[in-house]
Amino acid sequence: MSTLEIKNLSHSYIKNKTVLTNIDLEIKEGEILSILGPSGCGKTTLLRIIAGLEKETNGSIQINNKIVSDYLHTIPTEKRNVGLVVQERALFPHLTIIKNVMFGLNNSKKENIDTAMNILKLFRVDRYAHNFPHEISSGEQQRVAIARAMAPKPKILLMDEPFGTLDQSLTVQLRIETKKILKDNNTTSIIVSHDIDDALAMSDRVIVLENGMIKQSGVAKDITHLSKEKAVKIQ
Amino acid sequence: MRSFNLTFWHTTPFLLFILFVTPVAIVLFSLIGTYNDNWSHLYNHVLFLYISNSIYLVIGVGIIVSIIGTSTAWLVTNHDFTGKNFFEWALILPLAVPPYILAYTFTGLFDTFGTANNLVRDIFNLGRDFTLFPKVRNVPGAIIVFSFTLYPYVYLVSRMAFINQSRSIIEAGRTLGLNKTQVFFRLGIPMIRPALIAGVMLVLMETLSDFGAVDHFAISTFTTGIFRTWYGLYDIDTAMQLASCLLLFVIIFLVIERYSRRKATYSNSMSVFRPIKINKLNGINNASAFLACFIPIFIGFVLPVMELTYWALNYKLDFFNYKFITTAWNTLSLAFLAAVLTTILALLINFSTRYKKNKLLANMSSFLTVGYAVPGLILAIGIMQFLTFIDRALTIEFFNLALTGSLVGLVFAYVIKSYALSNSALESGYHRINHKIDDVSRTLKSSGWSMLTYIHSPLLKTSLLTSLLLVFSEVIKELPATLVLRPFNFDTLAVYTYIFAAEERMFDAAAPSIAIVAVGLIPIIILTRIIRNSRPASREI
Repeated sequence: MSTLEIKNLSHSYIKNKTVLTNIDLEIKEGEILSILGPSGCGKTTLLRIIAGLEKETNGSIQINNKIVSDYLHTIPTEKRNVGLVVQERALFPHLTIIKNVMFGLNNSKKENIDTAMNILKLFRVDRYAHNFPHEISSGEQQRVAIARAMAPKPKILLMDEPFGTLDQSLTVQLRIETKKILKDNNTTSIIVSHDIDDALAMSDRVIVLENGMIKQSGVAKDITHLSKEKAVKIQ
Repeated sequence: MRSFNLTFWHTTPFLLFILFVTPVAIVLFSLIGTYNDNWSHLYNHVLFLYISNSIYLVIGVGIIVSIIGTSTAWLVTNHDFTGKNFFEWALILPLAVPPYILAYTFTGLFDTFGTANNLVRDIFNLGRDFTLFPKVRNVPGAIIVFSFTLYPYVYLVSRMAFINQSRSIIEAGRTLGLNKTQVFFRLGIPMIRPALIAGVMLVLMETLSDFGAVDHFAISTFTTGIFRTWYGLYDIDTAMQLASCLLLFVIIFLVIERYSRRKATYSNSMSVFRPIKINKLNGINNASAFLACFIPIFIGFVLPVMELTYWALNYKLDFFNYKFITTAWNTLSLAFLAAVLTTILALLINFSTRYKKNKLLANMSSFLTVGYAVPGLILAIGIMQFLTFIDRALTIEFFNLALTGSLVGLVFAYVIKSYALSNSALESGYHRINHKIDDVSRTLKSSGWSMLTYIHSPLLKTSLLTSLLLVFSEVIKELPATLVLRPFNFDTLAVYTYIFAAEERMFDAAAPSIAIVAVGLIPIIILTRIIRNSRPASREI
């Protein structure tokens, strides 16, 4: 069963200047997809359109076989049940770590605390539950940001350059841990990155965007041969 | 066809826009009315003088408040020196002194036979012809008066912006070879430019719309021209036409300000905020910092309070009576009501603009700030005519109630006049909240009221408190609109002062003037202490 289905999606901010052209994409439940491409190719825009933060010019988006956006309908972001992780992390600075994670939960307070603590344990940041974001390291902040996005059990987890500001060794470690957690929880995910290593390490499938169009698509190991010169170009 | 849902966030700003704009529009419509002989006289003989004097004032005041406001804010935020804790809040004390009161005390002090010159003659046993201090009843004198009473607007917004600057940025500058002075000029100032421009614009609008100080110094500006035309020639139409010219000036300022601000949007990622490291100053640096902070307070606050106290003690000691208490209570309640209402409205409009990302809403929000520059009396006339229309068409007919002459008109005027202050504080606050925080909170099912209540409001706490403080202080000092719109037998401290000052009985006006300053001090002291403790991410909200 496909969790996300995008049909013939196009987008332009200014008339006659298309950012995305005729994107067709399908993601199965539990699949991790990476979108690769150079800066300005439209990958972040595609992610924002899936989240409902931008409205596409043409095309349609279905999540769990339900149309969330087309020419006639637009379901707002808050009702799409998607999770978002951004490069800047965007943790709420006035809330403690646990309150950040509890923010998207709607159950009783005790259940929310239990859920939040469990997910913080998964990401090994539970000992910072009562700290503020500025009191922990950037790697720990990124773990919290992913934990917060996963806590409400979103249908799709959207990650925009999730490891972009972290150092290499931390990135490698976080990739392994995050992939394991995503797979263990069967979380459908889309990772936007300009780093080919992110894509290869994390995803089941990779698409390459160039000038707003899908240039290549395939399982990660095939894209390994997506050619060295392409990889260089992307980076 | 693509659907467009009209929500509360679209309609509220639109309704407020209509309410705010109507009185101003009534004034502006006078431009398409008939121009009589009085207008021709003004146009041929004095209009150029009004324009040139206004420009001199704006340039002079703009430069001085920028220097004082940013340098003192930088010093107290990033350095430790003698009296720093005192200066942190004391630097906004001049906010409690309206320009017209400083103007009165300046003439009392520095006129040929004023207190200061008399003192010098007595001490050094000099003749009556000797005058040490230059005359102040001129444009440079007015520039000094406006600069030293209004710089706290720039100080407050600059300090708020400096407080929120991350230490990492300063440290990055140092590692890239900048010394402490270069860090201030090449990083500190450019990074707070939106806040600085906003603060300076507020000061300039206040300068352009002031009447009391320039009238006392006999300087011909738009406002004195408007008042003279109204009270001297009894020509309300020409007065409104002059006011419209002034309004056009202000709109040009606003457009320039908005354009420059849009070109440079700076936002901190709050998640990586690191509080600023305080540098300890010693020796000559310590003394210089002390003087740089002390002089503005001395000129803008200590000096006028000393002179007023001297007058009050010598001429009037029995002012603390029932009438005074009632008047003070009226002033406090009105100021509180207006401050809360204005801040709520500014928050709603700023949130709507950001949340809906609608260009029309953004333009409407910009336009609402114009009310601040409308001279109080002209705004009052616009409101009076607007309320009269509503009374005739609606309230008297259906509710047997007249809005004209009630507190509604007065609060309405205060809200319109102070909206720019509130908006400036909140806009600066919003500039520092990363838009990604909104995106993430929407994916966490928080939108509209929930986002405003649980995310934006706590993050804007400093800005909201600043807004309350600014509006409160402004309303206490407001005079012309209060004079016209106050209900029968309802006085505020400013009206009380004016009645004496209009008759040149400044000795009698001294006591209520001190009361205005004293009442204005209470929220300043309380709220600045709260602001000092409200750095982002410093504690749980």
